[in-house]
Amino acid sequence: MRRYLLILILAFSSWTASAQGSTAVLKGTVIDAADGYPLIGVSVMLNGTKQGTVTDIDGSYELKVPQDKCEVVFSYVGYDDVIKAYTTKNASSFSRIVMSANAEQLADVVVTGVYERKKKSFTGASATFKTDQLKAVGSSNVLQSLKTLDPSFKMMESTQFGSNPNVMPDIEIRGKTSVAGIKEEYGTDPNQPLFILDGFETTLETIMNLNMNRVASVTILKDAASTAIYGSKASNGVVVIETKAPARGRLQLSYKGDYGLSLADLSDYNLMNSREKLEFETLAGVYKDNTNDPFAQIRLDNLRNERLKEIERGVDTYWLSEPIRPGFTHKHNIYAEGGEDKIRYGIGLSLGNVAGVMKDSDRQTIEGNVDLIYRAGKFQFSNKLSINWLDVTNPTVSFAEYAYANPYYRKYNADGGIDRYLYYPEDGIDDYPVANPLWNAHLNNWDTASGFGFTNNFIFEWFVTKELRFRAKFGLTKQDDDEQTRLSPQHTQFDDMGETEKGLYTHTQIKELVYEGDVAVTFGKLFAKKHMVNAVGGFNFSNNHRQIYGYSATGFTDDQFDAPSFANGYPVGDSPDYSESLKRAASFYINGGYAYAERYLIDFNYRLDGASMFGTGNRFRNTWSVGTGWNIHKEPFMKDNDFFSLLKIRGSIGNPGNQNFSAYQAFSTYKFNGWMTNVFGTGVILNALGNADLAWQETTNYDIGADLTFWGERINMTLDYYWKHTDPLLAVITTPGSMGVTSVAMNAGSQKTRGWETSLRVSPIYRPSEGVIWNITFNATSAKSEYADIGNSFAALNESGKSSLVGTTRYYDGGSPTAIWAVRSAGIDPATGKELFIKKDGTYSFTYDVNDEVVVGDTQPKVEGLVGTSLYFKGLSVGCYLRYRWGGQVFNSSLFQKVENIGTQEVYNNQDKRALYDRWSENNRDAYFKGISLVQRTEKSSRFVMDDNSLVGESFNVGYEFPDKIARKMRIGAMNVQLTMSDVFRATSVRVERGIDYPFARTVTMSLGITF
Amino acid sequence: MKRIFAYMITVALFALTSCDAWLNVKPYDKMSEEELLSTEAGFIKLLNGIYIELNSDMLYGAALSVEMVEIMGGAYVIGTDNSVWGNYADLAAYKYQTDYWRARLNETWNKAYALILNCNLLLENLEKTAVKFSGDNYRVIKGEALALRAMLHFDMLRLFGPVYSHNPQAVKIPYYKRYSVTPNALLTAAEVAAEITNDLQEARILLANDPVRTSGTMTSAPADATSTFMYYRNLRLNYFAVTALLARSGLYFGDMEAAYDYSTEVIQAASEGIFPFVEKSLVIGSPDDPDRIFSSEVIFALSHSQRNKLFKGYYDPSRIPNYVFRMDNDLMSNLIYGGGASTGGHQDDYRYRVNWVATGANRYFYKYSDMVDAGSIQNTMIPMIRLGEMYLIAAESRSTDLAAGIGYVNQLRSHRGVSNITSLTRDILQYEYIREMYGEGQLFFMYKRMFTPVLFSSVSSRNPSPSDAVFVLPLPSSETDN
Repeated sequence: MRRYLLILILAFSSWTASAQGSTAVLKGTVIDAADGYPLIGVSVMLNGTKQGTVTDIDGSYELKVPQDKCEVVFSYVGYDDVIKAYTTKNASSFSRIVMSANAEQLADVVVTGVYERKKKSFTGASATFKTDQLKAVGSSNVLQSLKTLDPSFKMMESTQFGSNPNVMPDIEIRGKTSVAGIKEEYGTDPNQPLFILDGFETTLETIMNLNMNRVASVTILKDAASTAIYGSKASNGVVVIETKAPARGRLQLSYKGDYGLSLADLSDYNLMNSREKLEFETLAGVYKDNTNDPFAQIRLDNLRNERLKEIERGVDTYWLSEPIRPGFTHKHNIYAEGGEDKIRYGIGLSLGNVAGVMKDSDRQTIEGNVDLIYRAGKFQFSNKLSINWLDVTNPTVSFAEYAYANPYYRKYNADGGIDRYLYYPEDGIDDYPVANPLWNAHLNNWDTASGFGFTNNFIFEWFVTKELRFRAKFGLTKQDDDEQTRLSPQHTQFDDMGETEKGLYTHTQIKELVYEGDVAVTFGKLFAKKHMVNAVGGFNFSNNHRQIYGYSATGFTDDQFDAPSFANGYPVGDSPDYSESLKRAASFYINGGYAYAERYLIDFNYRLDGASMFGTGNRFRNTWSVGTGWNIHKEPFMKDNDFFSLLKIRGSIGNPGNQNFSAYQAFSTYKFNGWMTNVFGTGVILNALGNADLAWQETTNYDIGADLTFWGERINMTLDYYWKHTDPLLAVITTPGSMGVTSVAMNAGSQKTRGWETSLRVSPIYRPSEGVIWNITFNATSAKSEYADIGNSFAALNESGKSSLVGTTRYYDGGSPTAIWAVRSAGIDPATGKELFIKKDGTYSFTYDVNDEVVVGDTQPKVEGLVGTSLYFKGLSVGCYLRYRWGGQVFNSSLFQKVENIGTQEVYNNQDKRALYDRWSENNRDAYFKGISLVQRTEKSSRFVMDDNSLVGESFNVGYEFPDKIARKMRIGAMNVQLTMSDVFRATSVRVERGIDYPFARTVTMSLGITF
Repeated sequence: MKRIFAYMITVALFALTSCDAWLNVKPYDKMSEEELLSTEAGFIKLLNGIYIELNSDMLYGAALSVEMVEIMGGAYVIGTDNSVWGNYADLAAYKYQTDYWRARLNETWNKAYALILNCNLLLENLEKTAVKFSGDNYRVIKGEALALRAMLHFDMLRLFGPVYSHNPQAVKIPYYKRYSVTPNALLTAAEVAAEITNDLQEARILLANDPVRTSGTMTSAPADATSTFMYYRNLRLNYFAVTALLARSGLYFGDMEAAYDYSTEVIQAASEGIFPFVEKSLVIGSPDDPDRIFSSEVIFALSHSQRNKLFKGYYDPSRIPNYVFRMDNDLMSNLIYGGGASTGGHQDDYRYRVNWVATGANRYFYKYSDMVDAGSIQNTMIPMIRLGEMYLIAAESRSTDLAAGIGYVNQLRSHRGVSNITSLTRDILQYEYIREMYGEGQLFFMYKRMFTPVLFSSVSSRNPSPSDAVFVLPLPSSETDN
C-alpha cells in the first residue's frame, strides 16, 4: 500500500533557478471523466513516499515536488488510479487531471448484496439484468420480467387465482427443495427464494409492490458459490435488487409512466350453452322421477318445459361476462435527483393503480422515497428511506360462481331487477335452490385491505485505505396492515340463520417490525500485478416480530349501513384472535476470493448461522462453499486468439440451508384448557409439541458451468449443470396417534435434483457503435427430482391422496415430487361402457384398485424456456419473447370434474361442453368418456392425464428512444416510449380451465419516460 | 491486516456465544414450556389440566363412562328406529369397523395418548427442574402423574388389548414412558401390564404421605386456604385411588394375591372412616335430595363442571323421541333387581331406589341427575373407582373358590339395604357388579375379563357370546397407517 512519490510544479508557478535540492509546486484540479465535476478528497501522492495531499472542495490541489524526475499518483475509491510522470518540464500538464470510474463498475459486476465482484472473476452461477432489460420485456413488476429473462426463475402460474393482482405468486429458483405440507401448516412458502433489496432482506410483497422504474439492477444468485454468503437462508436461491442511486449533477427531474389495459382471457372456458345444458340434464335424468310418482313426474316435465320455453325465447345467458371488465392500470414515478460529489440526493414519488380484470379488484400503491448520500473524505453515509401506502379491494363473489350459473336462466327479472334466486323450489319439493351470483355481487359486501409502512436503510462506509473498507448497515422496517371484510345480511349464505346472526364483519390487523444490522470489512488488492485477493468478513443479526389481531362481528340488519358499530354482537362462541411470531437470527460470515493473473479463480464462503426457530440442541449451523474457475481466454496460448473474448469454465460446491419455517416449531407450547375449570382452579395442557432436535434443512449444491462470448461479442452463451441434494428434508409428518400428537415437524429423507440450464444470445448484426443490433435469444431449462430415504414417513399423505378425489402427488423413494400417480387406464370398454384398468402386473381389470397406482406422467416438463428476438435500430427497438414448454403432463381436472364425476349436486352447475359429447352410449361405443350418470364415481386414472405442451406469447414490445436532437427541440433531456403486450396468445395441447376463482388476463401497456 | 481479521473473528465468536440467549425467544401468545414449568404453580396447573381434560367426551366425559363403552357392556336397550339408534345399533352388534366407530375409537385413542404425552412432559420436566416445591408437593405431583399415565394405558389396554387371561402375549399397544418424536414399538399385553403395575407401585410409594391417609378426602377447603391443591383428595388420584387401581389391575391381570391385598387395604381404610358408606338418610324412603352417586364411597372421581350433560345427553326421559339410555325391563325385573335369592336382586336395594325412576312402563336411570344444591361438589363428580368395587374384588380374589368371598359381598349388601346372599356364584357376582357400577363404564371390561356373554337381556340367547370379535377392538387406523 505504500507508494513511491514524486513531485512537480505547475507551469504558471514560478520556480527558483537553484537546481540542487530545490522544490517545485504542482497545482491543478482533478475532475471526473464522466461529467466534468471536480472530485473531492482525491489523494495525490508522490510515488514511493508518504508525501502527499488531498483535493479540496473544488477538486484543487497543491503538491510540493522535488526538482527532479518523479511520479505522481492520483487515487480515489471507485476510480482507476492515474499515475503521471513529472519530467520537470511538463508541470502544465498537471493542471487538469481526469479520472475515470473503475472499469469494473462500468462492466459486468455481480452484486451479491454483501459484496461486489467482477463477473469475469466470479466463480458462481448468477445472472444480472439492468433496468433497461427488465423494462424491455414487461412493465408490471420486476419478477414478472425476470421470469421472461432467466429460465431458472419461475413464477408458478396459479390455476386457482389466475391474474389476481392481490395474490402473491409462488416463486422458485431451480425448482423446489422442500416437500408439501409445510406451506399448509405454517403459511410460509418453504421454496421461496431470499429477496435482498439494497443490501437488506425483504419480503416478496415488497418486491411485487416496488415500482420498476426505481430499480437499477437485479441479480439472481443460483449456485452455492454465489448464495452461500447468505448461509442458512440461501438454499432456494437469492434475488438481489438494487434501486437507483441519485446521480450527481444539477437538479434533474424525470417522469416515468405506464398505462396499461388488461382483458380477461376466457378462452380456456368451454361451457355449455343453454340448449346443450338442458339436453345434458335431460340425459342425466334430472327431469325423471325415480319414485314413479306421477305427480312428481308432471312437476318435473313442467319444469323442463318452462326451461325449454325460455330457451326457445332465445335465453342463452353468458354469465362469464358479468364479473369482468377491462382493467386500466396506470403507474407513475417522479424522481428528482442532484447534488455534487459531497452530497447527493434523490426524492421520488411513485403511484401505482392496478385494476384487475374482475370488477372491484384493485391494488393501489403510493410510495415515497428519499435517498441521501453524503461523502466526506474517507467516510460515506447513505440513507434510503421509503414510505409506502397500500390499498386493496377484492371481489366478494368468486369467478367460479358465475361459471356455475346455468345459461338458461335470465340475469334479470321482468322488471329489470335482480332476483335472489335463479330457481327456488316450490314448498314441499325436495330440491336445491340456485342462488343468483349477481344478487350477492350487487349487495354492499366488501373485502379490503390497506397497509402503511416505512423502511429506513442506513449505511456507513469507511474507506480505511484504497484496499480496505469498513461498512456498517442498519435497516428498519415497520409495516402495519389492516384487512376488513363485510358480508351483507342479505347474502344468501345467511338465509337459514336467525335475524340476529346475519351479516358478518371481520377485521384483522397485522403489525410487523423488522430490523437488521450488519458490520463488515472488505479487502481487495492486486499483489505483484498477478495475485488478486478479495475478502469480506462480517457479522449480521436480524429480528422479525409479527403480531396478528383479529375479531369478527355479526348481526347486521341492514344492507346499506355497514359500519361495525351496527353489528349486534360477536358470533356465538367466538373469541378474539391473537397470534405472534418472533424470529431472530445472528450470523458471522466470511468470503474470500483469489485470482491468479485473472486466469485461475477460487472463491470460498463460510457462514455460521444461529436462528431462534431451531432447537437449543441445533441452534447453530455452518454453511460453506468453494468455487473455482478457469478463464481460458486469458491463457498465454489463447493470446493470439481474439475469437473468444470470454471463455470461462467454473464449478462450485456448498451447502446452503433453508429457514422458511415456523417460529416456534422447536419447542413445546401450552395453552389453558379454557372449556372448563374445577375446584383446583385453571389447568393448562400441551398446545404444540416442539422438536428441539430438529435439524436445519440443508441442500448440498453442485454446479458446473461455462460462460462463453465469442465471434466479436456476437455470441454469448452460458451453460450450467447442477445437482442438488436436500438432506435432511424438513417436513410435517403425521404420526401414530399413540405419540400423543397427530403430526410433528421432523427431518425425514432427502430429495435429489439434477438439472441443466442454458442461455444463448446470438447477434447476427452487431454494430453497437451505429446503434444497430439484432439479437436472437434462446434459453432452456430442465430438471428432474426424486425422493430418497423417506421410507414410510409420508404414508398418511399417500393414503389420504389415494382415497380422495383430488391429489395425484405421492411420496415414495425414487418418486419425483412432480410425478402424477394414477391407475393406468385402457379406456372405456366399448361393449359395457365401463372403464378398463391396467393392473400393476399388466393384466386388465374392470375393478379399480388404488394399489395399482403407478407414475403416469410428470407435471415437470422435459424442457422449457424462452425464445426471443430483439432488434435495435438507432432509437427503435422491437422485441418478442415466446415461452415454450415441452414434455410435461397434466392431470386434466376439468375433464375429471366437469365432464365425468358430475354428481346430483354438480349437475345444477353449468359444465364443460365435453360432458355432453363423446360420452359412451349404445350408439356411441367408441367414446372416450363414460356414459352420462349422476351416481357413478370416476376414479383417477391415466385417461385424464394429458401431454401439456404449450407455446405462449409472453411478451411483445416496441420502443423508441427519441434522438437528442428532437429531445432538445422539445426542451427535454431525453424521452422514450414503449408498448408492451404480455400473454398475447397461448397455444396448448390440452384444454383445462384456468383461473377458477379469478380469470387470467392479457395486457397491453404503454410506457413513457421523460427526463427534464 | 491479519490482526484485524483475528480481532474480528474473536469478536464475532464472542458475539455469537452471547447471542445464544438472545436467540432463545419465548412466544407471548402461547406458554412456552420453559416459562410455564419454571414455577411450582406451573406444574400444578399442568397436572390439573390433565385431570380436566379427562372430562373430554372422547374419554370419561362420555365415551369411557356412560356412552360408548357402556353400550359395548350391554347396559342399554338399543331401540329399533335406525334413524335414532343407527350408530349405537352398530356398536351393540360390535361393528367396530364402520366409518363412524373407527373415527370415534381413533379419537378416544388419540386423546388418551395425548394426555399420556402431557404426563410424560410433566414427569420429564419434574426430573430436571430446579424449582423448589413446598411440602410434599413434589412427590404428590409425580405420584399422581405416574398414576394418570398408568390409568390411561390400562384403559387403552382393556379396550384394545387381548382378552388377558387367554392371550397375554398378544402384541397390542405401546407404553410411552418418555416424550419422543419417534413412535414407540407395540408391546405384548403382559409387558404393558408390567409397566402399568410398576408405575402404579411407584406412584403408591410417592404418595405414601398423602394427607388422605390421615385427614380423609377433605371435600371442602378452608376459606383461608392459599391453595386448594392438597384438598379434595377424592378428586385426585390419591394414595387409596392408586391402591384401588392396583387392585383393579391385579384382578384384570390375574394376580389374585395383589388384587386381594390392595382391595382389602382400601376396605380397611374405608372402615376407619376415610370412605364411609353412604348415609342411609340420603337414600332410603323418598329423600328430597338423594346422594345418587354415593359420593362418600367414591375413592376417585373426575370433577366435571357440566356433569349434568351426562344425564341430559343420555338418560333424561324428556329426550324422547331421541334416544334415551336405560336398562332392558326384563333384565331389570328378572335378574338385576328381582329374582330373589338366585340373583340377589331386590327392589329394596338403595341402588334401585335412588337411581331408577319409573315413568310409564319403563324405568329411567337418574344416577347423574343433579342434587338440589347447584353448587354441591357431588354434582360435578364422575366416579372413576369406588369402594363397592373393592368389596367385589376382595370377594373374587380371596380364593380360587369363589364361595370364600361371600362375606365381602354380604358386607357390601348390608350397606345397600338388602339381605345376605347364601351362596356366591359368578352370575350373582356379575349382577352385583352391574348393580354397583352401572353407568360407570366398567361392565364391558368385566365381561371381557371373565370372558362371559354380555348381558343385554334376560333372554340368554340374545346375549352375544364371548369372542375376540366382541372383546378385542381393532387398533385405530391412526396407529396402523402411520
